[in-house]
Amino acid sequence: MSGIRFDSVSVAYNGTTVLDSLDLTVEPGEVMALLGPSGSGKTTALRAVAGFVRPLSGRVLIGGRDVTALPPHKRGIGMVVQQYALFPHMRVEENVAFGLRAQKAPRAEIPARVAEALEMTGMGAYAKRYPRELSGGQQQRVAIARALAIRPGVLLLDEPLSALDAQLRSGMLTELARLHRELPEVSILYVTHDQVEALTLADRIAVMDRARLQDCGTPQQLYRAPRTEFTASFVGNANLLPVTVADGGAVFAGRPLALDPGRAAPGSTATLCVRPHLLGLGEGPNALRGTIAEVQWRGSTHRLYVDVDGHRVKADLPELRETPALGDEVTLHFEPRDAVLLSAGVSHA
Amino acid sequence: MPDASGRAATQNPAPAGPSAPVGVAVVGRAGVPAVAGAAPRGLWGAAPQGVRRALWVLPPVAVLALVFLYPLALVVQQSFTPENGGGAFDAYASVFASASFREALGTTVWLAVGATAGCLLLGFTLALIIAFVPFPGAKAVARFIDVFLSFPSFLITLALLFIYGTVGMANGVWTDLFGVAEGPFRFLTTPWGVLLAEITYFTPFVMRPLLAAFSQLDTAQLEVAAGLGARPARIVRQVILPESLPALAAGGSLVLVMCLNEFGIVLFTGAKDVTTLPMLIYGKAILESDYAAACVVAVVNIAISVGLFGLYRVVGKRAGA
Amino acid sequence: MLVHSKGGRWAAWGLFGLLFLPLFALPLLVVVAASFATHWSGAFPSGPTTGNYAAAVRGESLQALTTSLVTAVTASLLALTIGTWAALAAAGLKKRGKRCLDALFMLPVAVSSVVVGLAVLVAFSRPPVLLNGTGSIVVLAHTILVTAFAYQSVSAAIVRLDPAYEQAAASLGARPAHVLWRVRLPLLLPSLTAAAGLCFALSMGELSATMMLYPPDWMPLPVRVFTATDRGSLFGGSAVAVVLMATTLLVLLAVSRVRTRASYR
Repeated sequence: MSGIRFDSVSVAYNGTTVLDSLDLTVEPGEVMALLGPSGSGKTTALRAVAGFVRPLSGRVLIGGRDVTALPPHKRGIGMVVQQYALFPHMRVEENVAFGLRAQKAPRAEIPARVAEALEMTGMGAYAKRYPRELSGGQQQRVAIARALAIRPGVLLLDEPLSALDAQLRSGMLTELARLHRELPEVSILYVTHDQVEALTLADRIAVMDRARLQDCGTPQQLYRAPRTEFTASFVGNANLLPVTVADGGAVFAGRPLALDPGRAAPGSTATLCVRPHLLGLGEGPNALRGTIAEVQWRGSTHRLYVDVDGHRVKADLPELRETPALGDEVTLHFEPRDAVLLSAGVSHA
Repeated sequence: MPDASGRAATQNPAPAGPSAPVGVAVVGRAGVPAVAGAAPRGLWGAAPQGVRRALWVLPPVAVLALVFLYPLALVVQQSFTPENGGGAFDAYASVFASASFREALGTTVWLAVGATAGCLLLGFTLALIIAFVPFPGAKAVARFIDVFLSFPSFLITLALLFIYGTVGMANGVWTDLFGVAEGPFRFLTTPWGVLLAEITYFTPFVMRPLLAAFSQLDTAQLEVAAGLGARPARIVRQVILPESLPALAAGGSLVLVMCLNEFGIVLFTGAKDVTTLPMLIYGKAILESDYAAACVVAVVNIAISVGLFGLYRVVGKRAGA
Repeated sequence: MLVHSKGGRWAAWGLFGLLFLPLFALPLLVVVAASFATHWSGAFPSGPTTGNYAAAVRGESLQALTTSLVTAVTASLLALTIGTWAALAAAGLKKRGKRCLDALFMLPVAVSSVVVGLAVLVAFSRPPVLLNGTGSIVVLAHTILVTAFAYQSVSAAIVRLDPAYEQAAASLGARPAHVLWRVRLPLLLPSLTAAAGLCFALSMGELSATMMLYPPDWMPLPVRVFTATDRGSLFGGSAVAVVLMATTLLVLLAVSRVRTRASYR
């Protein structure tokens, strides 16, 4: 059992800080997603664990051991990358055996462990094939088998599904979840820019932006109670509206809204976050009146864009019988418990 | 303004002339041919046009035949017809019987094989460092290698005369250091001097295809391999080397052929006891005016190098180079 | 990327410097140093002078330079014409035909330049075509030798050419000749100039076939370098060699400037 710890790890390339004093702990057996847009530092963090980038300062610990100065080949890490990186001149079984040979596993043990890893990923029948004879999804399974064959304490997954098409991707997500149930002792660091992957797979999500850790918590925490505007808009969809905090609520565009202001001081400015699918059509508590600027039909839902006092509000509504017309006056409402107040200043802290 | 006219050509091809096939505009993303398989031939249609296309091949082939194939044929013919009469194989018999020919053949082959081996080893090492242990200026070094290729080979021998010559740099440093009258470096006029010069000059020919092959290699493979616990030596042996074998084979066989045919380096060495086949041809033809013998040696030289070059083409085809 | 420890990296770089500098950088430096010297006995050259250059751009050497330039330019243009024509024609052939043409046009690379020189000498010292003793026999040999390289680089470029462009042109009603002239050749221009540079450099440095063929009144630079050093005039020869290198580099530089302007993709 080994977890990962980043101890104020900073990385810079040519004077540009690409990872700014990251503090993060991945518990043994935990799936931690590093979620963020490109250039947010998430891949750098993963590469610092693998040993391909050297931190400017700080320490990386694996299983409690400081590995900051250790070369990659001494870290015992399984790694799967976006483009699979299978060795094109080796058969599937040779690819999977590579790590075992490199780590000088007893020769007699290798075939069984290769077979085991291939079975686990459902690729047992393809052992004799070359990578170029496999589809993208199959190559990805082999890459995972290759990483698992060395029985790593830590598995690093760098955008492993982004080269697959949407359908394969959801299949592989299920597959990865199953693998993790079968190998509960492996800690997984999963780098992705896709919130669905992070929400589906991760025990906890670390949200990264501009080289910094913005937020970290369980998917539910981040989704229901994001702490920053960035998290709110990056994890799921969000309407972000400027409000002034009042006693027992907030004021938006001159109208009082009922909600829990938490610890925000009355009179201070804050951002109201409410998810588009938690908005209802028609009168109710916390009504927002405006005109329809855009209507999109998305099969099971309608997405309305409503201009409310110069702010565009998104609402996802179950498919409407009568499609509203542009320019119609509508009223949206939300329950007090569905809204979150983000106090200003947190977002860039 | 080549720029502007070029743009116009790709963006607004001329208005449809009388021969226009009823406006079937092909719209394909650049890089993804719209009709991949049928691409080259589809345009030109069936047999009659195919024949007309084949006719276009004739002029350059005719020129080549006149200035290259016909002279080569004459060389072969002359090798069988000694000037002062005698049987068809007389010239061959006397050349093969001569010790100088057999020695030249031996020297040529071992020099070429040795130089090729040296070039492969040195080129692989240097290219490996440039590509995978990059340092500031590595790009400039790679460009320097390209420039190096455009210089004539005899420059290297000329330089070696100053470096390792009897009164050159190396011996000068040695005598200064140890206070002796003469330095130990006097291999320049032996085959070893030629070997050193050939390795120096031809190594870039190995490095260029290798650097190209290395740049194609997915570096994620190296990282994954290291992550799986492989040390650099194992990564080089099991990942980089197998994937660059085609480039090594192609570069190596090219260098082998070029070494077999090298003349400038040997000529500039000026050593009487280093004679290769090209030197022998030059000596027989120009210095001794014995054209029949020169042609015999030339035929042997052609047989060896063309045979090897065929091998290079086969290897290169398989390597996709 | 491959070596992650600092020590290992420095060891690799040290090895590189140890091999690269004495083998590749030193020879060029030494020739340049010698070209400015009158004496070399000991570790370093002595007697600094520019006299070697004064001699290298005068009289016979100057004539050799012009001879080389005329030879190289003529041979390159001829080779480029023949090579491009052949490569374009080969691209229209079926697979087997193309392979035959490839082998045919690459053959001069395989044959020793000395043999090419001998063959040309044998063939054109007799009727019907008598070229022996003229400059054109040297130009002819150079053309044969560099055509292979022109053919090779142009056909490689044709393979890389996206067929979508000519298909688009043809679908818009352009006839084959028009497609060739307005689409394919402009797109190939960067490769053509690169091939021209390569041919020029090779011809400038050609010694083997030239030694077999050159008449007294058509002596190119490499032969001049050889005759100088053969007479024992190493320093004068070095200066001529540097002039040769510099001219080649200048032309290559000019060609690459043209190439950057010509590549619009």
